[in-house]
Amino acid sequence: MTDPLALDPVLPARERSQLPFNDDALDHDERYRHFEEHVTAGGKVEATDWMPDEYRTQVLRFVEMHANSELMGVLPEREWIMRAPTLRRKLALTAKVQDEVGHAQLLYRVAEDLGKPRDAMIQDLLDGKTKFHNVFHYPTFSWADIGIIAWLVDAAAIVAQQALRDSSYAPYARTMKKVCWEESVHIMHGRDVVVTMVTGTATQRGAIQEALDRWWGPLMQMHGPRSDRAKDRDIHWKIKAKTSEELRQEFLGIYVPRIRELGLTLPDPALRLDEAAGEWRYTEPDWNELRTVVTNHGPKSEERLQFRRDNWAATQWVRDAILRAPRSAA
Amino acid sequence: MTDFAGLEPIAMDFSGAGGGRERALALLLLSMADDEFVIGFSDSEWTGIGPILEEDVAISSLAQDELGHAQALYRLFVDVVADGRDADAVAYDRPPEGYIHARLLDHPRGDWAWTIARRWLYETADAARLAALAETSYEPLRQLVDKLRREERYHEMHVDAWLERLAGGGAEPRRRLEAALTAMGPDAGTVLAPLPGELALVRHGILAEPFAAIEARWRAVTSTRLIGLGLAALPPTTDPDHARSGHSDAFRVLHADFTMVRRSEVGATW
Amino acid sequence: MGEAAGAVDAIEPAGVLEPWEVFRREKDGDPMRHGGSVMAPDATLALHYAREMYSRRQESVHLWVVRRADIHDLADLDLLQPPLDRSFKKPGGYVMRDKLAAARQVSGQAKPKANKGAR
Repeated sequence: MTDPLALDPVLPARERSQLPFNDDALDHDERYRHFEEHVTAGGKVEATDWMPDEYRTQVLRFVEMHANSELMGVLPEREWIMRAPTLRRKLALTAKVQDEVGHAQLLYRVAEDLGKPRDAMIQDLLDGKTKFHNVFHYPTFSWADIGIIAWLVDAAAIVAQQALRDSSYAPYARTMKKVCWEESVHIMHGRDVVVTMVTGTATQRGAIQEALDRWWGPLMQMHGPRSDRAKDRDIHWKIKAKTSEELRQEFLGIYVPRIRELGLTLPDPALRLDEAAGEWRYTEPDWNELRTVVTNHGPKSEERLQFRRDNWAATQWVRDAILRAPRSAA
Repeated sequence: MTDFAGLEPIAMDFSGAGGGRERALALLLLSMADDEFVIGFSDSEWTGIGPILEEDVAISSLAQDELGHAQALYRLFVDVVADGRDADAVAYDRPPEGYIHARLLDHPRGDWAWTIARRWLYETADAARLAALAETSYEPLRQLVDKLRREERYHEMHVDAWLERLAGGGAEPRRRLEAALTAMGPDAGTVLAPLPGELALVRHGILAEPFAAIEARWRAVTSTRLIGLGLAALPPTTDPDHARSGHSDAFRVLHADFTMVRRSEVGATW
Repeated sequence: MGEAAGAVDAIEPAGVLEPWEVFRREKDGDPMRHGGSVMAPDATLALHYAREMYSRRQESVHLWVVRRADIHDLADLDLLQPPLDRSFKKPGGYVMRDKLAAARQVSGQAKPKANKGAR
């Protein structure tokens, strides 16, 4: 975890806007009270505002994990960029993976402005000190996986990200708007791959069903176990608005009918909409698996981290070079 | 004059293209398309592992541009040969020896210096080739070349900025850049190697001048730039008669990878 | 980029990757708006990266990059929103309804009909 004291605001105090908590003359508790009042009433926070250490570290941890996930989320799909079966699919998949790198950039920028340098975040990721989302610890076996990931993993992610567009941390909220706009095309690309394959040969259709069977468990775990809204500090600070279960319900509500529409079977006999309660019922996801996987003990965790370490080391000389190179006055 | 060595299996595919002009035009289009296709593949390998995040996004855009150019050129090619294949079939369904990209592009991705060196050598040569096609009499190609040149301008700016930064970025970047230029330099001219039937292209106003003249122009420009950065000028092309044939193992590996899904279910729609 | 890229090329590299703020115009006639930021060692690469991050979907027609360290900042509300009355600077500060009614009474004129098309 980052030492909160190491996190200096980006701009000096005199340049911060005059919200009461930005008044350096007030004592800490009073500032904290003003800040909490501001945020819980729906107020926004900018990078240059004063903020309590708890808020800063909480936002940073949240955004950093999101950034890590985008960066690591590149790897399962990246392998298939070279294997895409048509020019258009190749272009679409390359552009999608590129967007994920772009989103990592946007998110690391948000996190950097909270005071933690990008190199330090990458190092912590490579050292296994910070986490990334469970779904990116699994292998991709076939082109069908690529369709299911782009459609459903991105759909589950978008449900979460849409709920972050109103985050109290304004730079994060703004970034989420751009990310959601860009990611909407990923879902279309993924759904198109899936629909094309389910209407193709029996083998193609079988490959999609297999991929769905493989990914359903991780997808159900992706938003995390149910949590107590009252105890959730991210919700208290309005960094996020919805609980894991709310996000999962929303995902199921939109996507289960769209999956079934294609004649695909979801590998959970207990999955059904409880009309009376207006809630989806499902077999309890394997939370032990989630814990195992996100602590970097998933089937591909170590291999992917090692791949990142190797590539980071192999390109260090390039980063060094551009900082040294003199410019010609062109 | 270059013979058809190595190009014959391809030439025989032009069943629909009659006469010297069509045949030479098809060969020109296919050679350009394959060049863009293969460099697009090599560059797309950087997506997700670029040296800095911003640069990662940039190199991916360049790869997508090249692949988009390949797609447009394959479409012109299938219009000329009209043998029932579509652009994807031409792009994916040939054996490795059926591709006629320049030998420069046969080198594996390599490190960042290799990528920059290859991109710089290719982009400058491609720019010279496109300039010689700017006023082409084949109208569909003229329209496409106009768009390609507008997109390639950014590619040249990007790669030249990097060439300069690696040349002046200290001992290690310079050593790596020089190693890449030394290894690929003898193959750089293959992009502009004479094509069978090119005299017909010149005669019909499709190509402004023979490739030997385009190459000479390109060598003058690149030498000035390289020498200006304290680097060696490019050596002459090795084995120019096989500029676009006899592909490397690296390309065969690439080919096995990019045809994998498509081969898994022949005739399927993807 | 053209001339702009040439003009800024002379800026010396910072020796570190530093933030450059990106401003973008979405379409002709729009103002430049802040888009976000990129990390770059110099203006040339900052422009390249701005293009990638803020126009790879062709969503901009004009970009600026400004080194963050070169931005001067003012967010002091005493300066920007001074507390005393400034209503004389705004149309809403001039309320004439009652005075106009009195004037019509004196002149014996009726209230003119609303003139469609005019404000």
